[in-house]
Amino acid sequence: MSGHECDDALTNLYQYLDREIEETTTAVIRAHLEDCSGCLKSFDFEARLQIVVRERLAENVPDEFLQRLRDAIAREAASS
Amino acid sequence: MADQANFEQDAMQYARQLYSAAMRMTRNPSDAEDLVQETFLKAYRAYHTFEEGTNLKAWLYRILTNTYINKYRKDSRRPSEVDLGSVEDLYLYRNIGSEESAEAARSTEERVLDGLVESDIKKAVEDLPENFRLPVLLADLAGFSYKEIADILDIPIGTVMSRLHRGRKAMEKSLWDYAVERGLVPEGAERP
Repeated sequence: MSGHECDDALTNLYQYLDREIEETTTAVIRAHLEDCSGCLKSFDFEARLQIVVRERLAENVPDEFLQRLRDAIAREAASS
Repeated sequence: MADQANFEQDAMQYARQLYSAAMRMTRNPSDAEDLVQETFLKAYRAYHTFEEGTNLKAWLYRILTNTYINKYRKDSRRPSEVDLGSVEDLYLYRNIGSEESAEAARSTEERVLDGLVESDIKKAVEDLPENFRLPVLLADLAGFSYKEIADILDIPIGTVMSRLHRGRKAMEKSLWDYAVERGLVPEGAERP
């Protein structure tokens, strides 16, 4: 399934997922996604991908580094 | 104006996520530690200029980003303006499955989303040219709005949107390549 509505939805996909779009456009897209399973699937996939990306980009920060950072701030505080 | 005595209490909660962003900027732990430490010391010294009640996280990321650009890009104050080839929309999704059934495509999607490991995602971000990598990190790792990213990077909001969108598409292309390398997708599969 594809047509103008699908193209419009796809054009706005990232802004929709990022919640960076006016309410009226959000409502139009939401209504389209209820009717169009093809677009719904692709939006759902992109939403899940965003979550996966965010989760797997996080680093384990070494505790020793956080301590060194606190020490550096304390030294700076003492010297000023 | 903020009180320097409260700096550690106010700012340390952001150290972990600034370190994650710094790792993707510098691509190695030792430079990332230096970058975060320099950011925090600069922020501490300037904390009296920070207006209390405004966005401390965005203020810290702005210092982080400027420090990164100045320190690691000595030849230029601005991030390098490298272009990306155009990538089709929904690159990863469309390439994932041409299986006969919706169920089979769905299971390939699950396999890809579960099977792409941390190093794949990190590499896909690091593969991006800097002018695309920074907006992607600020949105997808740090969760900033387009407006906040525009303020942090000193670029127009329309530029943020286009770099973010094109950067994410390019990332999907890299992720597809890593999914193929890992054998997560059937060979030659392509969604019609």
